[in-house]
Amino acid sequence: MKRVVLESVLVAALGVLIAFGANALSPHGLKLERDYFPGDNRPLAALTNPATNTVGATQAQTHSAADHLREKGLNPVDSEKAEQLFRDPGFEQNQIIFIDARNDEHYQEGHIPGAFQLDRFHPENYLGEVLPACMGARQVVVYCNGGECEDSEFAALLLRDSAHIPAEKLLVYAGGIAEWKARGLPVETGARRSGQMSAPKK
Amino acid sequence: MTMALSARSLSVLDTATVVARWFLGALFIYMGLMKARDPVEFLKLVRQYEMVHQPFLLNAIAAALPWFEVFCGVLLLAGIAVRGAALMLIAMLIPFTLLVLKRALAIASAQSLAFCAVKFNCGCGTGEVLICRKLVENAGLTLLAAWLLAGCGRQWSARYSLLRDRRTAEVSPLPEVPVPASKQ
Repeated sequence: MKRVVLESVLVAALGVLIAFGANALSPHGLKLERDYFPGDNRPLAALTNPATNTVGATQAQTHSAADHLREKGLNPVDSEKAEQLFRDPGFEQNQIIFIDARNDEHYQEGHIPGAFQLDRFHPENYLGEVLPACMGARQVVVYCNGGECEDSEFAALLLRDSAHIPAEKLLVYAGGIAEWKARGLPVETGARRSGQMSAPKK
Repeated sequence: MTMALSARSLSVLDTATVVARWFLGALFIYMGLMKARDPVEFLKLVRQYEMVHQPFLLNAIAAALPWFEVFCGVLLLAGIAVRGAALMLIAMLIPFTLLVLKRALAIASAQSLAFCAVKFNCGCGTGEVLICRKLVENAGLTLLAAWLLAGCGRQWSARYSLLRDRRTAEVSPLPEVPVPASKQ
């Protein structure tokens, strides 16, 4: 048995070395030193799926998320307000912009028309385009999938705390794309301003 | 007759163990790769367990665990350091199953659900699963790993043990090579 334990220690040591090496070489690898959840204090035990972001967000979840955002000093907006901002003439002039905080796959599947993308786990790929747009806008609406999704919250914190975008012009749409779609509002697929719209569902 | 039957059942058992080793190895390679292809998603799932709060440790677990599973899977598939790899799998499966159980209890309590109705993405690499099914699966995998740890099924192994087994060496010593008589 001693020999087996020793062998497992060898397996563990070699495995850990290989695992970190693979992470470092992988284009999707995590940066070990980065804090991906700054100021993290949300109770998570009862969440069922924050990673893939269950689309069927309930009203209770949205209200709870709004309270949580306020505690973090962020300004939540509901679907009605988000739609109002989308229909505002300032939206066409980039006075009001939307930022989608999800990854490429989700963004390409469907986003609010004209929304910029800011995958908060790889901000260096997006901030070059997003920051000037935020600077020029009077209101910035950040969203993700809604429900248990926290990416919009952390993207807004990144913009506020690291990119110094004034908190008063940052809004977080807690209902996210799930509520947006549920209201039958337009959704753009593919790249930003691709003009490809998915049919709204009523 | 009895001896023949016994030898035959031993052979069947050994073959079954090799198949179990391949199955376990392939499964861990698959589950590891599913996590490794989207480490951000796995990071979010690991965070739900609230086992560590330091960002470095959380990132390290999410970054290394998927590839470590792949590594152990490859060892089992190839038959290298089989018992050491099996012990590592048990060392991962038991604490992880307890964490899944704890979280399922929290979800059941928070959402007033029957325990077996709890369905969530446990970060196992297979998406959302029903908790009772997951627990049975993990128990089965742990038993399979324990079976390998017991030392059955050594056939088709590239290097079953990394370290030299003195006991085995004593039981089956190398055949003695006759020393040629020196020429007179």
